[in-house]
Amino acid sequence: MASTRHRFEVDGEIQTVLVGDLNGLTSVTVGDEDPVVSDVTLSGVPGMVSMVIDGQPTRAYVARDGRDFKVTVEGRTFLIAAAGGGKRDRSGVGGASDPPGKITAPLAGVFVESRIAVGDTIEAGQPVFVIEAMKMQNEIQAPHAGTVTAVHFAAGDRVEKGDLVVEYDVTED
Amino acid sequence: MFKRVLIANRGEIALRIQRTCRELGIETVAVYSEPDRNARHVREADHAVCIGPGAALESYLVIDKIIDAAKQTGAEAIHPGYGFLSENAALTEACDAAGITFIGPPGAAMQAMGDKVSARKLMEEAGVPVVPGANDIDINDLETATREGERIGYPLMVKAAAGGGGRGIRLVERAEDLADAMRAAGSEAASSFGDATIFLEKYVSPARHIEVQVMADSHGNVRTFGERECSIQRRNQKVLEEAPSIAVTPEIRKRLCDAAEAAARSCGYRNAGTVEFLMDNDGSFYFLEMNARLQVEHPVTELVYGVDLVALQLAVANGEAIPDDIGLAEPHGWAMEARINGEDAYNNFTPDLGLVEHVELPTGPGVRFDTMLFAGLDVPVFYDSLLGKLIVWAEDRELAVKRLRRALTDLLVVGIETNAPFHLALLDHPDFQSGNFSTGWLESTFEMPPQPEDDPRQRTALVVAAIAASVAGSAPAAGKSGGGRTKWLQATREHAIGLRVQSGGGGWRRRDIASK
Repeated sequence: MASTRHRFEVDGEIQTVLVGDLNGLTSVTVGDEDPVVSDVTLSGVPGMVSMVIDGQPTRAYVARDGRDFKVTVEGRTFLIAAAGGGKRDRSGVGGASDPPGKITAPLAGVFVESRIAVGDTIEAGQPVFVIEAMKMQNEIQAPHAGTVTAVHFAAGDRVEKGDLVVEYDVTED
Repeated sequence: MFKRVLIANRGEIALRIQRTCRELGIETVAVYSEPDRNARHVREADHAVCIGPGAALESYLVIDKIIDAAKQTGAEAIHPGYGFLSENAALTEACDAAGITFIGPPGAAMQAMGDKVSARKLMEEAGVPVVPGANDIDINDLETATREGERIGYPLMVKAAAGGGGRGIRLVERAEDLADAMRAAGSEAASSFGDATIFLEKYVSPARHIEVQVMADSHGNVRTFGERECSIQRRNQKVLEEAPSIAVTPEIRKRLCDAAEAAARSCGYRNAGTVEFLMDNDGSFYFLEMNARLQVEHPVTELVYGVDLVALQLAVANGEAIPDDIGLAEPHGWAMEARINGEDAYNNFTPDLGLVEHVELPTGPGVRFDTMLFAGLDVPVFYDSLLGKLIVWAEDRELAVKRLRRALTDLLVVGIETNAPFHLALLDHPDFQSGNFSTGWLESTFEMPPQPEDDPRQRTALVVAAIAASVAGSAPAAGKSGGGRTKWLQATREHAIGLRVQSGGGGWRRRDIASK
């Protein structure tokens, strides 16, 4: 294969990777590091990549997600974003990891009940709503204190992961 | 033997029962809810009947629909699996009325044992030790519950009389938390089992959860197949089981099996059942409950006793006697089962569901993986998070740990998170390796190590992305069907289903193209 240069954004840093051919092996150069020579096999299953890196056999599953790549290596999945793409917040959703002012559903399921109503004052750690999924009731807690301005779901509604459920005005300390 | 058996269940257990049926030349009938139409248990069955929408209360839990499906397809017997209707005496009655054999205990034995309260009373009469507690409490009767709670002492457990599988159970540390626990346990029990009666039980701690496999036939034979160790639990759900138990000596095993046999005889039990005990550090044990069904964790017993419990269930249901020489007298080697759940081990084990884009299943010596997983499975929201059970056998416990670690590493599931990283961390914990744990250990002592900050896998991922980008078209689009064309058709049951293979073929999704 011809030598190609790829730019990715990983954890906010731009990484340049050069992929080239070296006597039938693949040479990969990350940034200004020394090139790594690896024996790459594209398996019969599209998406599966087997490699020998530094003598260690490794397999990974790679899927395209728009211009980005989602790569699963030994049970952990990484988003390798194309550099220059729109910055998206891909951190966890729901409860504790929500930004102040919004509470999203950390999982898909059925909205069981809201423990709060518009106008209520909530405290950090207070249970605000319950989602049932896979026969377990999951209590979602408020990450910050505030005053509730909107609750977007009612008992029995189907909720998708990441849906905005509660909005509130954050109380300043 | 039966010619055709209906399996009133889904997921890995439906597949597991189908396999034995196929080996014995018995045709299988699958039932399925609409979101399960593409499930393996539907595609691999000889016949399949849709029994309604996704909610279990409108499909897998509706007895009339199950009986109708059996009549429609001419099934002579119904295997209920575990969960759902497996311990519902009304199903056994409906089977009797319809002239269909129920593969399980008689309704009376099931009622006696399935209701945890009457089971406790029976055991007291049979001389089997039980945990101190209070029976028959109405979910709304906080006054009685409070009084009994004071008598038993805290901490205590609130349990649904009809509960099981870890649902409808709450631990109460202080009296003021009793009302909340009753409400939560009661509502879970009502939605899962349709019965909100509860009972209280003293919280015996530290204790191991040890259970004995029982099989009884209609000729008066009761056979036990040793113990299973099920102390590794989170939220009262077993997550890893093994057989035998590191804490059970041959002498204790004998006493456990005798008690289990007495329990089975006390209620006129038939077919497969499990008697659960809490065991102290000194080897004394208390009856906890009897599960009137095939258990999730039955494979570990099958592997160390050399027996197919489903084949035995079918034979016993068919009126045959348990053969004298079936299975081993003592456990041989060591078996371990890791429940592979669709949940995020790094995010408080939150259920994770959705489209499975790709899977690689472990195999090789001593490895058995009972699973519903396949590339293209869209895990529905309606049912529990169990995707499969990774079971290993090895000559001893240490080797079984190594083998399970290898098999877990070989497992690859892309698209949803599984708890495999948790199992790997568990196997590496010194307390687990030495066998120094009780039912509370996982939640009180074990801590899930966080994802490493400077993960070398991230660099590998970067390299892989670059390689994929350099080979045009080598990576299938994630989680959505692309512009692929229909490569093949599979005619199934009531509907013809078009299987759409993506360009590059990283998985397929169902698309209905025509009805019959």
